[in-house]
Amino acid sequence: MYIKDLYAISPQKTHDLSFENGDWKVLNEYIYKAIEPSYQDLIPNAQLRRMGKAVRMGMGVSLPLLGRNPKPDGIIFGTANGGLEDCIKFLNQIVEYNEGTLTPTNFVQSTPNALAGQIALLSENMSYNVTHVNGSLAFESALLDASLFFDEHAKEEKRLLLGAVEEISDYNYNIDRLGERFKKELVSNEELLDSETGGSYCGEGSTQFYLSNNPENSLAKFTAFKQSSHLFHDEIAEFVMRFLEEQNLTASDIDCLLLGRNGDVTTDSWYQKVEQLFGEKPTVYFKKSVGEYRTVSAFASYLAVRLLNGQAHYLIENGATVKPRTILIYNHFDAVRHSLILIQK
Amino acid sequence: MTEIVVTGMGAISSIGLTIAENLYSLKHEISGIKKAKHFKSHYAGSLVFGEIDQSDESLLEELALKKGHGFTRTTLIAMKAFREAVSHAQLSPEDIASTRTAFISSSTVGGMCYTDDLYHDANMQGSPSEYVKNYEGSDHALQIVRFYGMKGITDVVNTACSSSANAIAIGARLLETGKVDRVIAGGSDCLAKFTVNGFNSLRILSEEPCKPFDTHREGLSLGEAAAYVVLERKADVSDPGKIQAVFSGFGICNDAFHPSATSDDARGPRMAMELALKRANLSPENIQYINAHGTGTPNNDLTESFAFSKLFKNVPAYSSTKSYVGHTLAAAGVLEAIYSILSIQNQEVYPSLRVEEPIADFSFQPTLRYTPEVAITHVLSNSFGFGGNCTSLIFSACI
Repeated sequence: MYIKDLYAISPQKTHDLSFENGDWKVLNEYIYKAIEPSYQDLIPNAQLRRMGKAVRMGMGVSLPLLGRNPKPDGIIFGTANGGLEDCIKFLNQIVEYNEGTLTPTNFVQSTPNALAGQIALLSENMSYNVTHVNGSLAFESALLDASLFFDEHAKEEKRLLLGAVEEISDYNYNIDRLGERFKKELVSNEELLDSETGGSYCGEGSTQFYLSNNPENSLAKFTAFKQSSHLFHDEIAEFVMRFLEEQNLTASDIDCLLLGRNGDVTTDSWYQKVEQLFGEKPTVYFKKSVGEYRTVSAFASYLAVRLLNGQAHYLIENGATVKPRTILIYNHFDAVRHSLILIQK
Repeated sequence: MTEIVVTGMGAISSIGLTIAENLYSLKHEISGIKKAKHFKSHYAGSLVFGEIDQSDESLLEELALKKGHGFTRTTLIAMKAFREAVSHAQLSPEDIASTRTAFISSSTVGGMCYTDDLYHDANMQGSPSEYVKNYEGSDHALQIVRFYGMKGITDVVNTACSSSANAIAIGARLLETGKVDRVIAGGSDCLAKFTVNGFNSLRILSEEPCKPFDTHREGLSLGEAAAYVVLERKADVSDPGKIQAVFSGFGICNDAFHPSATSDDARGPRMAMELALKRANLSPENIQYINAHGTGTPNNDLTESFAFSKLFKNVPAYSSTKSYVGHTLAAAGVLEAIYSILSIQNQEVYPSLRVEEPIADFSFQPTLRYTPEVAITHVLSNSFGFGGNCTSLIFSACI
């Protein structure tokens, strides 16, 4: 799967590429809100007003990508929760109006497949269209679907729009805070990994890739990926090493690690276990930039492609001179869902 | 091309807690759509539902699970149907846990089925409920993964009302490409204030039990169900007696017309059926029965009938088994896939119940009574959803 193009709206200035060029935003917040561009030229105002944040950010990324690329043969998305704000607005109405007469807008906008459906509608695309909601492996599931699609169409050139979206609302922030996923005290994202408490900070955004099975003029490729929803702490080393073996690689072939460390002392030991397998390696801790959310591995993949193309180099720790050609991403959520993604030039 | 077969089935719905009970009701035209006993809602008195006649407490007890661990109704019914499917396919605990076994599920309401608990947690009222970590759409699947110690690929799909039909298609593709050796695919959705009020706000719920394909149909009835099938490559199945049916093909596309309605020319439904036929290497005249999407809304039944009229020179027998169980949302695709397989196995058509006056615009009409002794080799099963998602599946007799 070759990556021809990509774009992201994130808590960093990815929308105008200044993040890639060294403009790193220091965040001193509990919530790392996405920096959204003006949508004026992209989406008519009447439509924009009705859109929830997930759909809005998703359209804000997909429309520019679709505008500068040929029509894709499929649209595949991953999102753990979709338009959660609309969902809980609707829920609040149900409870507060005791199931009275409600307006359907929030309900229709809240369905996780609303984004992929809107993209199909606005770009008049009747092709393959699936949304995966596999929690913190939703992007990995979308990746798997994309790889199946290309396997099935090996004989002809095919293109896919592959993406992920997650939004913060007050409500899901509340729920995850009650679930002890977020820190109660505030430290800046520069010091996130030195924190000695549980939880992390909440991020959001949409990341999308324009994929093709034709390697010509590609920026990078998704070489392989692997997921697990059931792994014990003493199995993680074997999980990683077997993945490398399956790709005929050894630890020394990896030029740069992208790790999902998020400053949560209760689960960061999983990342340390993986780091130990590689010794001193150039590493990027991508959650320092965008925080924790369930489809953040899509952002990590985005960052990997930038690094492979000589951008965002300033984020690499422990590797001032490296010019990476093979990048391994390891991410987990709650130490329950684990993901490995291998991206190469 | 690799032949994919169904080797196990499990289902729980308003017309039965097992496959055998579902079959009995289908044969005897017993509808499950009536006043709700367990579901608490403002609409419990005024609307009818396809409710599973088993309480959460009884499900917990039957599954030997403890209360207080975040098992939602979506999870409980999913676990029951999953258990029946893997047992039917004679999968060992090692088979289920294997890295070569994939689990592809689906749900729309997911873990958000207890609307009041979610309201309190989302608005930080009082101490966290037992479900505070279980609201995700994928929670039921993760609970099953934990329970069985599953090491393989997981996925959860949400394409609204076509979700589990897509789960089956994705499962088959994983087998075709050799990524896994067996797949458990399906979905689960339980009745929830969230969906009932959602569909009510769209004004597409019928006050009386739904009557798909009737001229005077007034909308859909919501139901709840969970169902799973086990898929394997035919070449890998050592005991041919295990094979329930062949999964011959699927078509997936988007209507690209409207967030919550089908296009007048039904281009999406037509395309999905055409793609499924093409993939199955069949032509329209090979289909003997269509298990229609048939929700009972004015829009769906008209446009779906229109699609039949364009695709088939002679429209085969068709019916909507949603007239038995209501619209079970994410679970509808797999439940109707199972009903389609039962049709093939028993060579009979389960009717569209309660149709008094079939839609007059067309020269064909649905099957109105239980019809045994019908030669059925290939069945087309349709599932269309909000967001324009259209999926058609084809199941065939194993020859």
